[in-house]
Amino acid sequence: MGIDSSKRLMLTGNKAAAWGARLAQVEYVPAFPITPQTEIVETLAKWFADGTLKGKFTNMDSEHSMFMAAGAGAATGVRVFTASSSQGILHGMESIYTIAGWRTPMVVVNVSRALATPITLEPDHNDIMSVRDCGFIQLHAETCQEIFDFILIGYKVAEDPFVCLPVLVNMDGFYLSFTREPVLIPNEQKIKKFLPEFKTSQPVFKASQPMARASAVFGGSTYTYFKIQQDLANRQAEEVFLKTSKEFEKHFGRFYDVVEKFNMEGAEFVFVMSNSFSTKGKDAVLKLRRQGIKAGLLKLRLFRPFPATAIADALCGHDNVAIIDQNLAPGMGGITYPEIVASLYDRKNRPQNILSVIGGLGGKDITEGDFLSIIEKLKSSETKQPFYLFGKKDEENFERLQHLAISNKEAFQS
Amino acid sequence: MTTLETHYKKIKDLHHEEAVAPGTGLCAGCGGLEGLRLGLKELGNDVLICNAAGCFTLLSVYPFTPLKGSWLYTTMGGPVPAAQGVRDALDIQLSRKTLTEDDNLSIVVVAGDGSSNDIGLGATSAALHRKLDFIYFCYDNEAYGNTGFQLSASSPYGSSTQTTPSVKFHPVGAELNKKNLFDIWRAQEPTYIATVSPREPIDLSNKFAKAKNLVGPRMFICMSPCPTGWGFNPKDTQLIAKLAVDTGIFPIKEYFEGKVIHTKQPRRRLPVEKFLETQKRFSHLFEPERKSDVIEQIQKTVDKYWEPYE
Amino acid sequence: MFRVRLHGRGGQGIKTASQILGSAAFFSGFQAQDFPLYGAERRGAPIVAFTRINRQNILERGPILVPDILLIGDESLLEDIQAAPLCGADNFTAIFINSSRLPEKLQENYSLSTLPHVLDITSLCVKFLDNGSSTSAAIAAVGARLLGQIEFPALKEAVELELNAQGINSDLRKKNIDLAEEVFQLLTPMEVKERPEKNITSSKLISSEQKPVVLAAPIILEPGNMALRKTGNWRLDRPEIDYEHCNNCLICYARCPDGVIGIKTDGSPEIDYDHCKGCLICAQECPGHFIKTVKESGSWE
Repeated sequence: MGIDSSKRLMLTGNKAAAWGARLAQVEYVPAFPITPQTEIVETLAKWFADGTLKGKFTNMDSEHSMFMAAGAGAATGVRVFTASSSQGILHGMESIYTIAGWRTPMVVVNVSRALATPITLEPDHNDIMSVRDCGFIQLHAETCQEIFDFILIGYKVAEDPFVCLPVLVNMDGFYLSFTREPVLIPNEQKIKKFLPEFKTSQPVFKASQPMARASAVFGGSTYTYFKIQQDLANRQAEEVFLKTSKEFEKHFGRFYDVVEKFNMEGAEFVFVMSNSFSTKGKDAVLKLRRQGIKAGLLKLRLFRPFPATAIADALCGHDNVAIIDQNLAPGMGGITYPEIVASLYDRKNRPQNILSVIGGLGGKDITEGDFLSIIEKLKSSETKQPFYLFGKKDEENFERLQHLAISNKEAFQS
Repeated sequence: MTTLETHYKKIKDLHHEEAVAPGTGLCAGCGGLEGLRLGLKELGNDVLICNAAGCFTLLSVYPFTPLKGSWLYTTMGGPVPAAQGVRDALDIQLSRKTLTEDDNLSIVVVAGDGSSNDIGLGATSAALHRKLDFIYFCYDNEAYGNTGFQLSASSPYGSSTQTTPSVKFHPVGAELNKKNLFDIWRAQEPTYIATVSPREPIDLSNKFAKAKNLVGPRMFICMSPCPTGWGFNPKDTQLIAKLAVDTGIFPIKEYFEGKVIHTKQPRRRLPVEKFLETQKRFSHLFEPERKSDVIEQIQKTVDKYWEPYE
Repeated sequence: MFRVRLHGRGGQGIKTASQILGSAAFFSGFQAQDFPLYGAERRGAPIVAFTRINRQNILERGPILVPDILLIGDESLLEDIQAAPLCGADNFTAIFINSSRLPEKLQENYSLSTLPHVLDITSLCVKFLDNGSSTSAAIAAVGARLLGQIEFPALKEAVELELNAQGINSDLRKKNIDLAEEVFQLLTPMEVKERPEKNITSSKLISSEQKPVVLAAPIILEPGNMALRKTGNWRLDRPEIDYEHCNNCLICYARCPDGVIGIKTDGSPEIDYDHCKGCLICAQECPGHFIKTVKESGSWE
């Protein structure tokens, strides 16, 4: 299926990711299946097999191996793509940290899925948050269109000579991965103008260029030097992202800021959200506004580097902020909450009332009612944090299940 | 008895150029380094070493590399998939003609016995399954050497390690037999497998010369006497490597085209204790009193191995 | 606070010496802290260990940059710019050197800030243990005695404890205790000078700038540059080829793990002493025994 002019296709998030990789002319895909990501690599496998994509698709034996092969391929000068999810990210963790330090560009898609235990297939963000500190750049997508666009933008950012880092594009499992919606796929030639064939900006492995990479260091100073450089390159990616985003807009008419402000004007209550559930948040904001409640929403998009200034600029001047984390650090709470609060600390007009909310764990829905409950909680004087989106009905349903698992519950009550 | 196409007959025939520069932090008298040095002499400089965490991580310490070729430090279980990634990327560029054949590299994985037998074995098996075109060099010093000599799956029965000391209730030390990595690899029918000893440079060099011209997975296990971990004077490294062969404990062989051939078969095997008594890791077999049952058990295992060939 | 820095070579028992000294101080009612600095180097390579001893809680950690007492277990280290055992020593630093030379000569030759305390530990170790490179008990005894605050029974208990922990048998432990006692008797406590405390001055910190990726990632583009690192200082003994008898069989060349035996144009082998680690495989393997073993010592006589 050749694409010779821009067209709109009904695509799942996974298919949109595969199209993004295809039109980015990826050359190498080491892959390993995991639900709900598998459709991405299956689709790419077919395209490599039938010659639509030139290069190599290699079935790997684990995510640990897959990320290592991806990094090594990138260090040898080809454009690399791969995808993973959940337990796969955890299994690949050692390789992920390792290749981030190699400073080799690539794009990886993560399809968010909650982490064991208990094991589940449904989404939340503990998987993507687990690689928060690895050194990869992170872009979080709300729609299938964003997934496609972020892959193209992602390669340009990753391969920028001042960045040279892997970019992780995140989407929610099920809510995007298996959900079809229209995606505008631009003309292939137009994309090539925006993102030409890969040309490395650093030495790569070949016989005429003997090189040692990633050698051991002794002494904290050497280690610190390389780590500071990793930090500076990652921070630099915010500016590069904005520059690339503007260029993307010139080519395709869509602009992506580091955060997205939705009905923030005059908002008395602001929900901070990310990924696909922000769509539900936006819907709630509109309904609440119609009910006379001045709600607004701030969507996180570029999560690493962390756009602290943009976030603080957006939130200051609003009295009540609820930071909805679809993740949980047991013993601490929501993972983005302290980062956002810290970004506000030196602002005089910072929000006075900030609530940490935990919701959407393991694919649990966040309902319209939940959003209103959050606002009521923000209005109340009760200060217990975090605020779990778990209700009476949830508890009753669970108790019915547990009764089947443990019939004489009374024996274990004390 | 050998079917090797013998390129070299004498030490003077070996490549004079060294592929590994001196100055590394590896222990004086390291048997594994001698094996790698001789092997790389044969492979030349157009190589990339994908290294597993282990003693040989110390080969390249920033800002230094001893290699005339290239080096990539990976992780303890990651050198083989890294080799896959580099091989794939080179092949992609070769087929697109964006890389010339002159710029091609041989990919060499360097890993210790801990990585090879334990943490990296799954990934290696996968690469053998994929028929990855690479050379694997396992320096086998029969324990986790870089962390101070703890039991690996390669530690032989009767050896004491930091995590299997010989004590009252476990007088033997390591109570398990050494994993048979050669046969595990062989079950997947790679292109070539060889065991080599640093004490047999001609045999070693001929095997590398042969492997160099083959395609597919080519696997080496190098007996690597370890003065630090085994407990002997570094000057005796080669002597101990020789005793490992002469007692039949370490068979020098190769697997090629479906057949296993011993390329250096001891004419009359020496008793195993000639090897055991040279090292502190076996000293509990001789003092305070001789543990004849353990020594006999080791001898029996060696005898059983050689029975079909003698 | 007494800050003791111990220098030696891997395999000489320097780490154990720092532990014996730490335990001896602890048994004498002091707070103590001891630790080695592990690097990439192995047996024969210069190593360093530390012991801090104080009446009060010790609020310092990590390497001792300005030592109060320097215990140098191997004289050849003084000429080694990588080991740099005198680094940080000042007028308040008491220096001990394991040597058979006169203190005045050592001070003059190495431009030492103070007249060193000197004792031929190696000979004593040979005499008591039949092993000149097993110096842990002797070096610890030097430290304990120079401090003048540790009595012999505490030292004895520490030697017994630490060597037992190393798996040293009771016979050899006894010999080490005798050795420590001999060292204790041969030395007298040093004069302790109080080091005045200096005011803290701020570090010169910089604002890091982003570098191009090749300069920002751990990348080495100089193949074979490892040879810039000299490992010749690891040698305790040096192999010397007897060229009168050498028949150029090149067994030594083939057997050298570090590849430091080259072949001269006339076909004879040549040892690169800048890098030879002194494993002595060549001497052991030479079929005609034409490579002899010579003890390394300082280059001046």
